[in-house]
Parts: sequence; structure tokens; C-alpha cells
Amino acid sequence: MPPEISQHLGQVSAGAGIGLSVVGMGLGVGLIFASAIQSVARQPEMAKQLTTLMYIGMALVEGMALLGVVFCYLALKG
Amino acid sequence: MNSNFDLNEYIMHHVLNSHEWLLPFVQPIPLPGILTSHALMVLIGCFVIVMLFLVFYRKDQRVPTGMTNCLEALVVFIRDEVAIPNLGEKDGLQFTPMLCTIFFFILTLNLLGLIPIFSTATANINVTFSLAFLIFVLLVFGTLARNGLKGMWHALIPSTLPKWLIPFFVIIEIASICVRSVALMIRLFANMIAGHMVIMSFLGLIIIFGWIALPALFLAVFMYCLEVFIALLQAYIFILLSAVFIGQMYHPEH
Repeated sequence: MPPEISQHLGQVSAGAGIGLSVVGMGLGVGLIFASAIQSVARQPEMAKQLTTLMYIGMALVEGMALLGVVFCYLALKG
Repeated sequence: MNSNFDLNEYIMHHVLNSHEWLLPFVQPIPLPGILTSHALMVLIGCFVIVMLFLVFYRKDQRVPTGMTNCLEALVVFIRDEVAIPNLGEKDGLQFTPMLCTIFFFILTLNLLGLIPIFSTATANINVTFSLAFLIFVLLVFGTLARNGLKGMWHALIPSTLPKWLIPFFVIIEIASICVRSVALMIRLFANMIAGHMVIMSFLGLIIIFGWIALPALFLAVFMYCLEVFIALLQAYIFILLSAVFIGQMYHPEH
């Protein structure tokens, strides 16, 4: 394979990696918020504890996905 | 269309550390010796926090108003919503000053990065590493100093575990302590650097495509507003997760 084609393939796959990370992050965060909203609608008195749990879950999902985004960006750069 | 413009160079130049203080409209100011722009931002952030709590915080007010009210609300929030529910009554009160310090440090640095003439020190992995290393030391040596080796063993291994599983569990739990600290580090770093990259990409579109891409300015302003929220949220998440992890290690029976 000529070097310029492999370099372009690397760039394309790094860009696709950014997109896939964002898809995963969107799915995860969407699920967490959807179930938190449903739970609060069913039991409004639990809202305070559920908000804390929701933010913990969101941070755990989002952190790993953003790690993917940043590393893909660095791969795109290199 | 400006084809000579290097978007990557533009973004990295704004996000990465450098030996000069970048200012709008004037030449960058070179910084002396080992001082880099992010180190300067950390010093400015510390100065802001000290000024906030020494000058603007007035303890003698019977009814707190203005800045005193704002700071007191945040400190009471950390004590009552983060420290005491996760660490218990006694430990929670002991840990509140540390958690408040980390919270205000991260919050000040995050918000400082959103002001145009400053840069974000928390988008540098060394700064977040030192913060997460503090939590790692607390998780390992804090538990050892407080509960001893026996307490550490109970924190790592559930008492109902079958004997043959114990070696695997020791390895998994030691890895889990490291992974928790590393995840704290990566989360703050990646969140801050990703937000600034997105804003810079939107602004770079305007430079590449000219006036036709001007609507991207509104997207950039929208991302900026989101970044203000993220700055608060990440500072909160950092201390919340630290409190949860420390609570798990200190009180293994829960």
C-alpha cells in the first residue's frame, strides 16, 4: 500500500473513532437521563438522591467517551 | 476560502502549554525560566481563591450578603450534600476543608480558562494528575493510617468471599484503586480540553470559509454557555467521586 493512502486511511479511521465515541456517549448519557427522568416522574420525593446518582453515572460514561475523543484527535494529529 | 490555514495548529496552539502568555491584539509576553502559561494560571487561580476568602469573605456579618452569601452557600452545600452523606458525620466534617479546597481550586481554574486572556490550567494533564494523585494517596495511605493493615484488607476483600477467589480479588481491587484515580484524572482533563477544542473548531470554520460560516459563531457561543455549566459540573463531580471513593475505603461495612 502506498504511504499516502495508508496515512489517509489512518486519518479517516481516527475521524470515524471520534464519531463512534460520540455515538456511545450519546447513547449512554441518553439512557441515564431517560431513566432518571422516569424515576423522578414516578417518585418525585426521591429527586435529590436521583440527581446525585444521575450525575455520577453521567460523569462515568462521559469521561471514558471523552478519553476516546481526545485520543482519536491526537491520532488524527500524529 | 483560506486554504493556507492549519486548523489543527490553530487548535493546539490555544490548548497546549507554552512558555509565553498569549494575549489578544498584542505580542505574546515571554515568561521567565520554568514558568509556563498554565503554571501562571495556577498561580493566578490560587491568588483569586485567597483574595475571595480573605478579602471578600466577611465573617462578622450576622446575615451574609453578596459574595459571603455565595461562598457560604457553596461551602455548606459541599458539607451537607457531598461530605456528610458519603463519609459519615465525623469524617465528613474532617474532610470538608479538603474537599472545599479542591472544589474551589478546580472551579476557579475551569472558569479562568473561559476568560479570553487566560488559558485553562485544568486542560493540562499534569495539573489533573497532581489532583488525582492526592486522592490516590488518601485512598491508600489514608486507609492504612486510619484502619491499619486489617482495615485495608476488609476494605478490599468482602468477608463472605470463598477462599480460592481471594488472590484474584486482591489483584482486581488493587487495579481498581489505580483505575479510579486515573479515571478522575482523565475525566477532568478530557472534559476541559474537549470543550475548548470544540469552541476553537467552530471559530476555525469561520477563518477557513469566510463570512458564509458566520452562523458557527452562534454554535460557539452555545458551546461556551455549555462550558460554564461543565466547569461547575466537573468540579462537583471530582469532589463527589473523591468523597464516594474515600467513603468506600474508610467504611467498608457500608
